[in-house]
Amino acid sequence: MADTTNPPTRPARGGTAGRRFAEPAGFAVFALLLVVFPLLAPETVVNVGVYALIYGIAAIGLTLLMGLAGQVSLGQAAFFAVGAYGQALLVTRYQVPMVVAALVAVGLAMLVALLVGVPLLRLRGHYLALATLGLGIIVTVVATESDYLGATSGLYGIGKPEFGGRRYDSPAEYFWLLSPVVFLALLVARNIVAGRVGRALGAVNDSEVAAECLGVNTYRLRLQVFVVSAGYAGLAGVAFVHWIGVVNPNAANFPLSVEFLLMSVLGGLGSVWGAIVGAFAVELLDEGLRSLIPTLLPGAVGEVQLIGFGVVLTAVILFVPGGIHGMWRSMLARLRRPAPGIGRRVVSDEDDSPLLARPGRPAPGTPLLEVRDLVRRFGGVTAVGGVSFEVRAGEIFALIGPNGAGKTTCFNMISGVLAPSEGSVWLRGERIDGRKPHVFARARATRTFQNLQIFRSTTVRGNVAVGRHLRSRAGLLRGALVLPARREERQIHQSVEETLALVGLAGDADRPAADLPFGRQRLLEIARALALEPDLLLLDEPMAGLSGGERRELARLLRRLRAGGMAVVLVEHDVEAVLALADRVAVLDDGRLIALGTPEEIRHDPAVLAAYLGVDDDEALTDEALTDEVTRAAARELANGDGA
Amino acid sequence: MTDLLQLLLAGVSVGAVYTLVAMGFVAIYTVSGVINLAQGEFAALAGLVAISATGSGLPLPVALLLAILTVVIVAAVMQRVTIAPVKRMTTLLSIILTLGVSTALKAAMLLIWGPEGHGLTPFPGTDFTLAGVAVRAQYLWILAVTALTAVAVTWFYERTLLGKALRACAEQPTAARLVGISIARASLLSFAIAGLLGAVAGVLASPVYFSAWDSGLALGLKGFVAATLGGLVSIRGAVAGGLVLGVLESLVAGYVDSGLRDAVAFIVLIVVLVVRPGGVLRQHSVARV
Amino acid sequence: MLTVTGLGAGYDKLRVLHDVDLNVPDGHLVAVIGANGAGKTTLLRALSGLIRPTEGRIVLDGRDVTGLPAERIAAAGLAHVPENRLVFPSLTVADNLALGAWTRRRAHSRTAERRERVLDLFPRLAARLDQPAGTLSGGEQQMLAIGRGLMAEPKVLVLDEPSLGLAPRLVGEIFGALARLKSERGLAIVLVEQNARAAFRVADEVVVMDRGQVAATGTPQVLARDDRVQSAYLGGGYAAT
Repeated sequence: MADTTNPPTRPARGGTAGRRFAEPAGFAVFALLLVVFPLLAPETVVNVGVYALIYGIAAIGLTLLMGLAGQVSLGQAAFFAVGAYGQALLVTRYQVPMVVAALVAVGLAMLVALLVGVPLLRLRGHYLALATLGLGIIVTVVATESDYLGATSGLYGIGKPEFGGRRYDSPAEYFWLLSPVVFLALLVARNIVAGRVGRALGAVNDSEVAAECLGVNTYRLRLQVFVVSAGYAGLAGVAFVHWIGVVNPNAANFPLSVEFLLMSVLGGLGSVWGAIVGAFAVELLDEGLRSLIPTLLPGAVGEVQLIGFGVVLTAVILFVPGGIHGMWRSMLARLRRPAPGIGRRVVSDEDDSPLLARPGRPAPGTPLLEVRDLVRRFGGVTAVGGVSFEVRAGEIFALIGPNGAGKTTCFNMISGVLAPSEGSVWLRGERIDGRKPHVFARARATRTFQNLQIFRSTTVRGNVAVGRHLRSRAGLLRGALVLPARREERQIHQSVEETLALVGLAGDADRPAADLPFGRQRLLEIARALALEPDLLLLDEPMAGLSGGERRELARLLRRLRAGGMAVVLVEHDVEAVLALADRVAVLDDGRLIALGTPEEIRHDPAVLAAYLGVDDDEALTDEALTDEVTRAAARELANGDGA
Repeated sequence: MTDLLQLLLAGVSVGAVYTLVAMGFVAIYTVSGVINLAQGEFAALAGLVAISATGSGLPLPVALLLAILTVVIVAAVMQRVTIAPVKRMTTLLSIILTLGVSTALKAAMLLIWGPEGHGLTPFPGTDFTLAGVAVRAQYLWILAVTALTAVAVTWFYERTLLGKALRACAEQPTAARLVGISIARASLLSFAIAGLLGAVAGVLASPVYFSAWDSGLALGLKGFVAATLGGLVSIRGAVAGGLVLGVLESLVAGYVDSGLRDAVAFIVLIVVLVVRPGGVLRQHSVARV
Repeated sequence: MLTVTGLGAGYDKLRVLHDVDLNVPDGHLVAVIGANGAGKTTLLRALSGLIRPTEGRIVLDGRDVTGLPAERIAAAGLAHVPENRLVFPSLTVADNLALGAWTRRRAHSRTAERRERVLDLFPRLAARLDQPAGTLSGGEQQMLAIGRGLMAEPKVLVLDEPSLGLAPRLVGEIFGALARLKSERGLAIVLVEQNARAAFRVADEVVVMDRGQVAATGTPQVLARDDRVQSAYLGGGYAAT
């Protein structure tokens, strides 16, 4: 049984050099196949092929939505119907020329998606899926009840396309007519996937919180992809209506949405190519079942091939979750050379120069982050009960305290992941508490995570590239048309290389992030955060799980960042490392700030020692012998230095 | 006035059916976080089996029992084959899996029973008229059985150790395991319960609302909407939700446009979810740090 | 009663525990202390079956339970009182306790008796039997979680940081109860704590963990003066790579 714990849910990105040649070759082969198919295949199969192309366009859109944005839509047929009805109306009732009408119909589908998407995309998971299903039903009901739209009979009399005096009415001709449309649709989808937007959405799928903290506005992006996906469905509706000549309320029905879903899943949710392959596979399956079932069960009538669809859908997700595309890739992986071994870390041992200085940054010593009377309650429990401090540019500030002290909660409030119950957070003089993390990112503040939130579905390079999201601008439109975005992509590539070199991950650039050893994954998160060029870097237990050597490297990196004027806030359990590294330390216990000062001051503070080692109520703070022991031990460690 | 009463009666009656379906959603969701898109098909299947059983001469009570048993078995098999093997269930997976089963079940019903709808013989009792309102005996059966079922289900979850164990699975799966409760078995039981509830809904509804291969779609989705009104985790909420939805639907169909009946549920869904976004967030929702 | 040899465990790519040995006889309390990230919680989760050990053996009352799932280990007589209590919030105190006896639910008659013994140990709970567990204070929830663990009459009780977030007075009450459990009922207890001072007072033996391994073991008296305890807490151990 295949591992169903992680079905690939988005198109693969950031591949190795070999793929740069594979892509254009793939498209060339596809073009060739499209031309040759009607010549070689028998007419009935070409007929199936026409349906495959028509529905395939909608499936591409759905794969974009489901694979890329991770949102299940059970209402793709609704937009298909909008496109179909729109085209039918414009062409038959208003005599609008076909191509113009097509543009309007597709636009209409996208408009409906925008209107519906604004409230719907605030929903997640099941709610969104069922709301889209409801959308399909509403469209069906509207179409059935509206006389303007022909009620139950629908609209008919839509003619086959005519260009240059030639009518495209045989399967082969219609197939060839659709081919360039499908080719372009696939190309555009592929560009979206491979570009900045695709990268950002893939990141959201892997770890929404990490993507937000890197500046991705998840809601807006999801909405954009939803609208684009609807446009694809609408285009498919246009193609449909000119082939069949008729449209009725069945165009929005649920089984059709299921069919689109099956195409996406069978082809592989992780691939827009898969959508086309899936479309062909499903149409062939459909055709096959329609001929087969009456011979097996003579009385069968109606949409019985659905049984095959249902079984295939369940079986694919259980046994081959990556679909056809997934199988293709595993086959290729087996043929390819084994992955390169762990690259050598190339970081100069001697280099202590300042890092990532930025001209616009406030001068060292200027307060960058201010936390005032921060309180956070969860139900009846006060996790943080009134904490205030400030962090300045060019300093390393540590937040320490025993387990349950509220460090992580504080951290989450100053990075936008949680809103405070009371109190405020100020970043460069602007009040910022309660805003979404991507707003923090825009203000050049970002963070790493205690339980790693690397983007598992892409490479090291891909992870860091998401960090450049706010330092680049290509949106959906520019990304779809590759040329204008190409220069920006090169710049992004360049910065990614530089950042990787900084932390010593250059040798691992093309490895899947999930394959890295734990310590390097931590470094990767930091590199990704640095790619944003932050002024304030928040690190949540960066030392945990690192070896002694790795900790020293990290400490050196942080010192270099400080020298460049960055402000770094650390939450750590490794108290000794922190005392050696930080400029100022805040100690939390039980949700309150019990000490704030230089490492020296903290080291000798009895309240801190008591908090860590525990206090019995009848022995209070008077066990001097133990306190002295601890202080002496700590001093000994310091005296030994960190080179031992 | 009699019109209003008639509509209310019809609304409460269909609402009770929605309630049963909604409770089935809650039963599964509270234990494993799965939303079972095949819940409506459970109801349709039960109706059709009962119809065939009475058609071949079996007395009604036996037919009902057979129908319920069949669906419970189907539900259990579904859990074992599609849900249990998946180690880490995500929303996407659970939707696609249950959708696949739902589609296959629908087509199987089409294959076996054909495309037309059939009605089960109404349960014993005479229809009568009260204050100008036509009261079908079946309505009374629906209301009575639903009320009893709701009480029984509530009693199960609130007063029996087993029911409490199921709730514990949903609230604190780790602690539940530590006291020895098997989450896998709990999930299986929850599906069986959902099958039972769906089947009861199906056989109750069949004499009035007819069963067909595709009647599960509307029923399932309206049951989901009803369950959502209660936050997907509350039996009482499901009861309230079902009745409210049924009445609303009936009033709209009667006073506005009968063709809009099916759209009501979804408009309600969208309005409720947008006004109270996300419903109640459970631990089982896909984890985000 | 509980013997652990060469235990190794972790999550995904991260190996947390290496070669851990532990021996807890009847009526003894072993305290496991160390800084965060030292692997204490992972140790308990490996013992109770929430995670599968990657190496080593766990023998419970003569029976090899290595690799069994949590439900089976609970039935075999090991009760794990988890970090953060994890009571069932909407269920009453009485229900929580009743579910604690899940693996012994067929023995109805004994359940009432066991409950009495729990209430005798934690009188505060008696007044709150019908309250939803989520409304209890932190200390009361801790008592409830321990009581729940006791309802199955386990042979071994393992507790994860029971003093977390509790006022010293309550910590005293709870640790007092642990001492009673050890001496009156002969329970074998493994206590993970950050509050080393309080743990030392009830422990027969102390195990110091540092970065997934056992750094030191001994009696509380000896270890209180040992440098290794301090360095395990303040992280000085990282000087040696």
